[in-house]
Amino acid sequence: MELTTYQQEALDRQKSTIEKFGNKTWLWTIFFLIWIMIGGYALYLQISKGHIVTGMRDNVVWGLFIVNFIFFIGISYAGAIIAGLLHLFKVPWGKPIIRLAQLMTIISVVVGPIFILLCVGRFDRLYFLFIHPRLQSPLTWDVLAILTYFVGSVLFLYMALIRDFAVYRDAKLDIPGWKQKLYKILAIGYRGAASQKRHLLISQNLLAMIMIPLSIIVSSILSWIFGMTLRPGWHSTIFGPYFVLGALYSGCGVLIVAMWVYRKMYKLETYFTDKHFKNLGYAMLVLAAGYGYFTFSEYFTDWFGSAKWDSEVIHKLFSVHDYGWWSLFTNLFGILIPIMIVAIPATRKTNLITIAAFVMVIALWVKRYLIIIPTLETPALPMQDTRMEYVKYSATWPEWALTIAGIATFFLFFTLMSKFVTVVPVSGLEDTNQHHASQTETASAINEQVQPA
Amino acid sequence: MKKVVKLKSPINATRQFFATAGMLILSLLFVNGLLAQTETAPAATADTTAKPVAPAAEAPELISPSLKFTGVQKGDNTIDFRATLKAKVKGGFIKLPFLKVKFIAVNGTDETELGFAITNGEGKALFNFKPDTLKPDTEGKFHFKAVFAGNKALEAAEEEVSFKRARLEIIPVKEDSILTVKLRLIDVGTGTEVPVKEVTLGVYIKRSFNPLKLGEAATDESGEMSVEIPNNLPGDAKGNITLSGRLDENEIYGNLEASVVQQWGTPVSDKITELPRELWSPHPPLWMLVTFIILMGTVWGHYVVIVVQLFRLRKEEPHGTVTA
Repeated sequence: MELTTYQQEALDRQKSTIEKFGNKTWLWTIFFLIWIMIGGYALYLQISKGHIVTGMRDNVVWGLFIVNFIFFIGISYAGAIIAGLLHLFKVPWGKPIIRLAQLMTIISVVVGPIFILLCVGRFDRLYFLFIHPRLQSPLTWDVLAILTYFVGSVLFLYMALIRDFAVYRDAKLDIPGWKQKLYKILAIGYRGAASQKRHLLISQNLLAMIMIPLSIIVSSILSWIFGMTLRPGWHSTIFGPYFVLGALYSGCGVLIVAMWVYRKMYKLETYFTDKHFKNLGYAMLVLAAGYGYFTFSEYFTDWFGSAKWDSEVIHKLFSVHDYGWWSLFTNLFGILIPIMIVAIPATRKTNLITIAAFVMVIALWVKRYLIIIPTLETPALPMQDTRMEYVKYSATWPEWALTIAGIATFFLFFTLMSKFVTVVPVSGLEDTNQHHASQTETASAINEQVQPA
Repeated sequence: MKKVVKLKSPINATRQFFATAGMLILSLLFVNGLLAQTETAPAATADTTAKPVAPAAEAPELISPSLKFTGVQKGDNTIDFRATLKAKVKGGFIKLPFLKVKFIAVNGTDETELGFAITNGEGKALFNFKPDTLKPDTEGKFHFKAVFAGNKALEAAEEEVSFKRARLEIIPVKEDSILTVKLRLIDVGTGTEVPVKEVTLGVYIKRSFNPLKLGEAATDESGEMSVEIPNNLPGDAKGNITLSGRLDENEIYGNLEASVVQQWGTPVSDKITELPRELWSPHPPLWMLVTFIILMGTVWGHYVVIVVQLFRLRKEEPHGTVTA
């Protein structure tokens, strides 16, 4: 397959990343695997001794695991929506970051549901969900929706990769035979013929169109698990859009951080430019404002309504003796600071945007914690067991170990995938500067023609 | 100066990785083993003072089951034999299902096998018998025995019951709007009918699980007692209720029971009506099912189209411009 000069340059610049695994990558891989093994040991303890090794008890039945599940799944939805929008609207500057968004989608949707498996007490009964599904249960909707979404994400990523697989196949890379064969198989005979291009583009457009609403629906379904429960702090009509926005917002932050890391690691400044950070920063600003609005609306209506248990939860969220400091952290670093950093021109710099995005991602993880735990600690019926561990949730080391293992798995998958495909897609890549220049030339020519003599 | 960590080759790195991983697993197992030993240590210390344990027995020790046996004289002149088999294992009782229990009539030294029953999942065996051909002893009493013969794991067990023959009659009486259940207890053990006085009898109504007690009273000189019952008791679809009279664990007569069905209840339809939206509703609402099918059909339909496109892509030969 023929490549343009710009594409060839992109391939030359990145081919070493897929040709060699590299010592640094080995070290990172081992580092992540060690954490995963520690998580494995925690899981062994959890299975052999039961969920008593976790901090979850009669009232707080969802702990860190569900927090992580929502966090990762949210990132995944954001990846799909961002990649879908960039593809559908053919945003020229967006092409280099589509791959990262898609990787984020697929890796998060693999890692997220693992936490559900960690949370259920009876692995052996898990298949009951499929043989005795109750369609009237939001949990069943969620299982089916995530499964459907997972298939869509795999297809979406694969179709975007076909042209690159064909490029790798024909590029005579210095790679082992098995990898060469794998590229050949995965390229499914794509040669770049006009008809092939057309078919691929139609399929991609079709899937991008489906993936955007699908992500919104699946994200809403996840929120309905909470929203349809008559619990204080959860039973809210805005939970659907609130979750969608929260997912998009945190995903946007993860994408910024991922761009920054790969830009540094693989020296991809040409492709992940300051413009990308600024543009995603603007997106982050808009989403932060929206998220802030929803958060305020949520707290304000609960506080004003003064229903007994809602007030109790609000009190816990804003009391310095309970979750007050955490609430302050999430609202300050999750909403206000990202807005300020992007809004003020002096601070609108790549590194500062990345730091804001990184802290915002952590703040939104804490926010998920604040959505789940205080509500579960406020049951409508009196607690039967009033031992402190039953009244107040406190995550144990196996839960933290498994959480870190999940994050390590996320990073490990990213590391391995970046050794299998180029982080910036080679095929279809256009020189946006040139594109911009040609557009300017055309505009000037038109202007000259329409001007009176 | 920048310090760079260098590994000689990926093979060496692989070796190092597996060595590290192996060490980590071994360390974790070691720590886990230590923790497990610490937990069991006090028990091991306590054992040192114990007497030497005898070598393993040649034959496994048999479990001694518990056999509970009762006989209930019914109003239709039959006797229900009820036997329950259970065994104490590791401090708790377990029910013993699928075991044969024989029922035997005993008269002096004569034993007549009446039949057998197999215990159900609850370890209970039920056997109904009409005692017309049996002769009571000189006191007018019947003697019965339930026998479990034992097996490879369980010891044999048997239990006896004795009671004097009696008859419990149940007579529903309706006067104006007042409903009364009259019970009459008659001793028939000696061949002549003698009313039994000063014995407390209970009146019950059959419910979904256990019978509900409506009242109790002692019999008078004529062996009769009566209990007034409410007139708004829920019945079946036709308003039928099953009333019963009982004498429980009497020293002379044992257990007696008689029942009658009366149309005295409030009709309650047994037809399952369409439940409102409940967590336990058997089916989702139709609109939900339709929405679900449409949504899933649309998405998976798209997937199918896309996969088909991919297959077509595979078969196509390149024509025209070939670019990435």
